[in-house]
Amino acid sequence: MKTLEVQNLTKRFSSTTQPAVNQISFALEEGEILALVGPSGCGKTTTLRLIAGLERPDCGSILINGRLVASESRFIPPEKRGIGLVFQDHALFPHLTVFGNVAFGLRSRRNESRHKSAPNAVKAAVLDMLRLVGIDFLASRYPHALSGGERQRVALARALAPRPSLVLLDEPFSSLDADMRLTMREEVRKILKSMQATVVFVTHDQEEALFMGDRLAVFQRGQIEQIGTPDEVFHTPATRFVAKFMGDSDFLRGKISSNGIQTEIGLLLQPVSLPNSTLVEIAVRADDIDFEPDESGNAVIAARFFRGALNLYRLQLDSGQILHALKMHTYLVPVGTRVRARISAGHPLAVFEKSA
Amino acid sequence: MLRAIKSLPFPSKPLPFSSQLALVAGLVALFVALPLAYIFLRALSANPEDWLRLLQTRLWRLMGNTLALAGAVTSGTLIIGVSMAWLTERTDLPGRRAWRWMLALPLAIPPYIGAILHLALLRPRGGVIPKFLEGLFGFPVPTPSPLGFWGAAFILTIFMFPYVYLLSGAAFRSQHAMLEEAARSLGRTAWQTFWQVTLPALRPGLLAGALLVTLDVLAEYGTVALLRYETFSSAIFAQLYGRYDRSAASILSGVLVSLALLVLWSEIKLQGQARFTQIEGNWRPVPLILLGRWKLPALVTVLLVIAISLLIPLLVLLAWTIQAVLDPQTLSQIFRAGPQGLAQSAWNSLWTSALAALFAVTLSLPVARLSVRYPSPYTHFLARLCQVGYAIPGVVIALSLILIINRLVPILSATPHLVVIAYVLRNMPQAVRASESAIGRLSASLEEASRTLGRTPLQTLFEITLPLILPGLLAGGALVFLTSLKELPATLLLRPAGFDTLAVRVWVWASDGYYIQAAPAALILLLVSAIPLSFLLHRTAMFQ
Repeated sequence: MKTLEVQNLTKRFSSTTQPAVNQISFALEEGEILALVGPSGCGKTTTLRLIAGLERPDCGSILINGRLVASESRFIPPEKRGIGLVFQDHALFPHLTVFGNVAFGLRSRRNESRHKSAPNAVKAAVLDMLRLVGIDFLASRYPHALSGGERQRVALARALAPRPSLVLLDEPFSSLDADMRLTMREEVRKILKSMQATVVFVTHDQEEALFMGDRLAVFQRGQIEQIGTPDEVFHTPATRFVAKFMGDSDFLRGKISSNGIQTEIGLLLQPVSLPNSTLVEIAVRADDIDFEPDESGNAVIAARFFRGALNLYRLQLDSGQILHALKMHTYLVPVGTRVRARISAGHPLAVFEKSA
Repeated sequence: MLRAIKSLPFPSKPLPFSSQLALVAGLVALFVALPLAYIFLRALSANPEDWLRLLQTRLWRLMGNTLALAGAVTSGTLIIGVSMAWLTERTDLPGRRAWRWMLALPLAIPPYIGAILHLALLRPRGGVIPKFLEGLFGFPVPTPSPLGFWGAAFILTIFMFPYVYLLSGAAFRSQHAMLEEAARSLGRTAWQTFWQVTLPALRPGLLAGALLVTLDVLAEYGTVALLRYETFSSAIFAQLYGRYDRSAASILSGVLVSLALLVLWSEIKLQGQARFTQIEGNWRPVPLILLGRWKLPALVTVLLVIAISLLIPLLVLLAWTIQAVLDPQTLSQIFRAGPQGLAQSAWNSLWTSALAALFAVTLSLPVARLSVRYPSPYTHFLARLCQVGYAIPGVVIALSLILIINRLVPILSATPHLVVIAYVLRNMPQAVRASESAIGRLSASLEEASRTLGRTPLQTLFEITLPLILPGLLAGGALVFLTSLKELPATLLLRPAGFDTLAVRVWVWASDGYYIQAAPAALILLLVSAIPLSFLLHRTAMFQ
């Protein structure tokens, strides 16, 4: 049985605009982490709120552990869904201590039968949870006296404490500093995995999605463009949008010929199931392109960006097309140098038919 | 930071719409709007001959009188309020902290008490000062008379300017230093910056304050009646109290309320725009302006305003109270037991005002919650409907309640409950605004978090929402309590015989010329009012 099943889910906020979430379907196995990723306003947060029961869908259905929680005719309120939600702003209750926040979900009616006779059991469960996220020494503090990372941990502990069957995280790291974000996401993933939690995770950061998700669902304009493992989504993007959004691809124009794809910087030997002379675009990332200085080359260095260990070069081909290439930080070529660019990818590249 | 804000798709998005909440809020709005609708109905269905008679005789003069007074008081409060706020917020005036409090405290003094004091001191024949001067020089010395237009305008101005003072002070304070620095860096002098940047940025706050003053002047009865300057309010009161001509009273009320609604409408329009004075992220205060040789004149001006509006009234009341207490005959008259006693009046004031505060805040909650959490034209309309109390002066509320209650629930007529209902109706706007701002500051995600952690909407209300918005609700309650304490005309018209509040006590003594006997009640009224007022002031940034 799937832990979460979403079928044809649709939500529109006003009748004039296009739906915020448009006919999406996906399912989640127990213990799996699914990252919903896409640009802002793509419908990923709305999807999460629909699963949580904070929005009512217009169409479609949601099943949690096989139980229908939302459909056109049925709506189970959030308090009866058995989910844990970590909010973007953490939403810690300012009038409760860290302990009180984490205990809040354990003291609800849903869990009363489990803990009614044993307030000590609540206490033990809270302290266990705080220990798990590494902040048991903060139990008596109030939220306003916590740092961003500590708040993050409390929010996570609070959502996990009632052992929900499904954990939802809504851009949980967006309020943290960049370096804090990296440590927190590693730790959060470890905690979620150690609890074998089933998780839906929303982010607009593609790198974060690749790191956190066992699978990724890439959203655009209320629809899922592709759903798959990080490898699949990164290496074989299903659409031009996915290629563009996941890893900053450039699109090199080409034309199908009998033995490969003819491009401005040479022939790409890759079988494609498209008829000859079809115009296509090849998604190339900076690590798929190489160049060396050549007076009679096909491109000019337009700019160089120092990226620490690597240099990112921007190449302008004679047609005006822009490509990017990565080189070691020691490899320096001045801007304006004429170079010969070529495709150096050791793997098949994603090819899309050029739209008219 | 920008990214975080941008990726928040709908900051206060609602949980699925609650129809029970909408129903309750609708009923509350109906309750508030009913007296208004009824007055219009009565005014329109009044005898055409009465309309004609009023149009030919008094209506235009009343309109002229009322508008002239409202205009004069509004301009006066703007000038005093803004200049006092500028001096205490933007300059290095010595003793600013103390002056801030003293400039706000006149709000605890109902203008009619101010009018009583001026009458006692300055009235042309028999006033304390003219008599003293006549005794000193042996002939009558001309002194300014508090009677008529200028007296009323002066007295209303000096007791109402704190509205403008508080709103413009808050606006001065929240203004970003960068705004003025940007103007200076773009080549404006300090003086040009004040007129081109500082003042325009304050405009919404200033206009909102000014319009509140205008509404208050339209509703004012005690002062104008004492100083014998006839406005709509006092004319309606006279029709009701003396002549019992309800038809004429209804017509005059209809016209007055239309006038007030017009003012209220512009005030609500401006409320929305008042936002751009809010403090943003890296706010820091504007550097103070050094007064230099202007320090002394500025200090004298501030002290003069404080003396006239606060210290002299307080001292005179204190002196009279002592005088009353020292005279055994007056003492026994004031402190006699029974329903006419001072203790009973104080108790009546307290419980009616407290009950009104409780009801107003409770009733405001569903309306405020609906309009903040589920913004739509319908919920917006309900919230605005609850604001009409501002536009219904006490005399009109009283008239409307007398007519409605006599017809629908005669059992309530001439009971103190009617007085409480009038207070609730009149002060509902303050309660709704306070509740709206309290709920608006509460992030919707806190309530949602509680839901996802297993709480029903009702449990969420009691465990999360109410504890967190309680300070805001108390502020709303304090405001309702304060204005209910001061309410005079509605109490006078609606109270059952023998039911005295402090305001009524003061009024009854003073209108018979017994100023000294009125002083203890007035002083108690002031001191009781000062408690909720200082609570309210403590909550604002200016007084922390």
